[in-house]
Amino acid sequence: MRKSSLALTAILSTTMLAAVPAFSESYGPYPVTLQGYEGDKTNTVSYSGQIARQVLEKSLKSIAGKGNGGENAAEVEAMLLAYFNNEGDLDIISPVSKDGFPVLQTKVSEISSSANVAGKFYKGLVPGYPGAQTGVEVIQHMFSQAAKSNKGFDAENGLDWGQLISKFTMGAMQYNQAVDNYLDEKMTADNKPNNKPYKDGAHYTGKEHSWDEAFGYWGAPAHASDLDGATAYAVAKQKDLASADANGDGVVDLKTEYTFGPAYYAAAADKSGTKTTNYLGTIMQAFLDGRKVITEANGEALSAEELAAVQGYAAVIGSEWEKVLAEATFKYAGSVYKDIEKMKSLEGEELAKAYRAYGKHWGELKGFALAIQTGKNNLGATAVELNKLIGFGPVTLDNSFVTGIDANGDFVRERRMTWNDYQLNMLKVQKLLQDTFGLEALINDATADLAALAGALETEASAETD
Amino acid sequence: MDITSVITDVFSDFADPKKRIFVGYFALSLALAFVWLIVLRRKDSKGALRKIFDKKVWFSGSARADYGIFVINQLVTMLISPLLLTQLAIGTAVFFWLHNFEYLSRGLFTDMNTAVVVTLFTGTLFLVDDFTKYVVHRWMHRWPLLWSIHKVHHSAKTMTPITVYRVHPLEGVLYGLRSTFAQGTVIGMFIFFFGGSVELATVLGVNVLSFVFHVTGSNLRHSHIQIRYWPWLERFLISPAQHQVHHSTDKRHFDKNYGVAFAVWDWMFGSLHLSEDEEEMTYGLPEAQASADNLLDIYTRPFVDMWRVITSRTVRFVNWIRA
Repeated sequence: MRKSSLALTAILSTTMLAAVPAFSESYGPYPVTLQGYEGDKTNTVSYSGQIARQVLEKSLKSIAGKGNGGENAAEVEAMLLAYFNNEGDLDIISPVSKDGFPVLQTKVSEISSSANVAGKFYKGLVPGYPGAQTGVEVIQHMFSQAAKSNKGFDAENGLDWGQLISKFTMGAMQYNQAVDNYLDEKMTADNKPNNKPYKDGAHYTGKEHSWDEAFGYWGAPAHASDLDGATAYAVAKQKDLASADANGDGVVDLKTEYTFGPAYYAAAADKSGTKTTNYLGTIMQAFLDGRKVITEANGEALSAEELAAVQGYAAVIGSEWEKVLAEATFKYAGSVYKDIEKMKSLEGEELAKAYRAYGKHWGELKGFALAIQTGKNNLGATAVELNKLIGFGPVTLDNSFVTGIDANGDFVRERRMTWNDYQLNMLKVQKLLQDTFGLEALINDATADLAALAGALETEASAETD
Repeated sequence: MDITSVITDVFSDFADPKKRIFVGYFALSLALAFVWLIVLRRKDSKGALRKIFDKKVWFSGSARADYGIFVINQLVTMLISPLLLTQLAIGTAVFFWLHNFEYLSRGLFTDMNTAVVVTLFTGTLFLVDDFTKYVVHRWMHRWPLLWSIHKVHHSAKTMTPITVYRVHPLEGVLYGLRSTFAQGTVIGMFIFFFGGSVELATVLGVNVLSFVFHVTGSNLRHSHIQIRYWPWLERFLISPAQHQVHHSTDKRHFDKNYGVAFAVWDWMFGSLHLSEDEEEMTYGLPEAQASADNLLDIYTRPFVDMWRVITSRTVRFVNWIRA
């Protein structure tokens, strides 16, 4: 009796142990699989160039706020361009060490000295921005505007350059490079094959490195599968050293331990709103699973099944990432809606303060709305509608809004719109995004009260007649 | 979907305080009828019970048809209700639409005391619901096409609380739409003006006013127990006896008392008829117009009648063009 129960316990505990998911799966290190490699490298994971670009994007946002209304415009613009091109020995401006959250690197070159933003920036047309310009032209126009603004804000036109630059870049660089390049053409059979090095002399295969590059653009810490939305978010906000510091050395290595832009917005969507989403976890798992298939191919060219599996994971990453950008756009459309409501009853100093917050939220809204149009999907009518509803600028205090740019590249505001009409546009933006992308987190849903009340009264609707 | 869950769903209204035939309201209605017969009609308790549970009423051919219709309609409702518009769709449309008016400001009254908002919302919802029921009901009688459908309800020769379900499924759809539009509109407007504090005052999850309507004997409207109110009150609230007048075969009662809870609509629009002392009323329609107990006829005749209305109107229209 005792023997058999012991045996049963043993069997049960073994099964239970086996059933526990490998929850501490980290992205890397991964072994060298390249056939015929004779060097001494043991880890193939390498995406430091992408992390450098994440740092440059974050730093650009801070620099955009350094203008003093025109006097130092040339200086600020030169600095923006230096970070855009990664020229010179650049200090990391953000993120930097904070009390209780020391950061390992202080120079961009400690991460990568050659990676720049400029070379990886969206070159397609950006219809949501005035002047029929390409992605690169748009960001350069943004730089020149940011440089002459006052602390990054152009109050007259209601434009917050730090937000616009940072959010647009998250699409035009990170999202575009990952989903429209590394996870797209580089995941086809003949492009960057797995039985050859990524480039001559590399110790990693074409597929291994392409996948890692995409992961780097995603910007999650390597141990992200240990973190839930709230924790990954706190890491980005530099508030949770214990969760960030995976190797326990007391400092945060930006290369592997920090949450950057795209992953940060996935975490933000998961931790707020309806709390029914798991964007961070889903995308992280797809990256891990895809990398596993590639590693297990052991340096051989991927078979048709393996390729299909990898492309399947790439598709999950692409569509979830798109949803994350749509969720963020949705969220800020809701903020803008609320800001307008607030401003209606304010005057003087308080109004100016609320207007500044409105400009910030609008910048995030617009930045994300532009970002989502830089992926590999042609959003077609959705993009047209989104651009029309949001416009080139927010409705400003005198009800005018940016309608285009003149030959000098200066903004013109030739139309007016009422606050109510613009609020209605924000409702339509939310509805459009929700319907098109099947959003679920729905932060700042302007019609949430309505849905709650209608839901509560659902069965009240009786067909009783007399 | 297994058969037990279907059966449970069919009879779920008896357990749902949002429905008139909820067992609690049913029991209260019986008690009310009993007290009425003893105190005001001077019956002994045996006589009262005999009157309430009159076999000729509860098991007439008409009543048995009601029971069949109840089951069939519940099944039909389960099938079609997911296809209907939701209050949320209407509420959202109204909410969006209100943004078009510059002089209306979203959240104009968000600072108002919550109790006031809840009272206002609960009252408005009930009032709008009741008024739209009056209007649609009136149309049901006045428009030949709709009367073809509504005849099903008036073909009942005896009335029991289950007669409330004696309606053609098409009428069910129309009433469902009415409710969706009425409630959706009120919800959209209240959220626009009052913001997130809007809530319904409820008892057992039911609008407190609907609850009052039900506990005060709404089931007796379709019954043979003629509970009347004082004449002054019957100008404000429809008594069970007033609704029985609405079902009466007497010509002078035709097209009267369309209202559900409030009588003011009938009063305002000239269709009010106060109840009369213990009149022996008969209900139903001539066999030539609608059958009281043939289920096949009950479900199909409205289509035949509607077709007749359409063709005769078309002929009349064509003749008018030619003339």
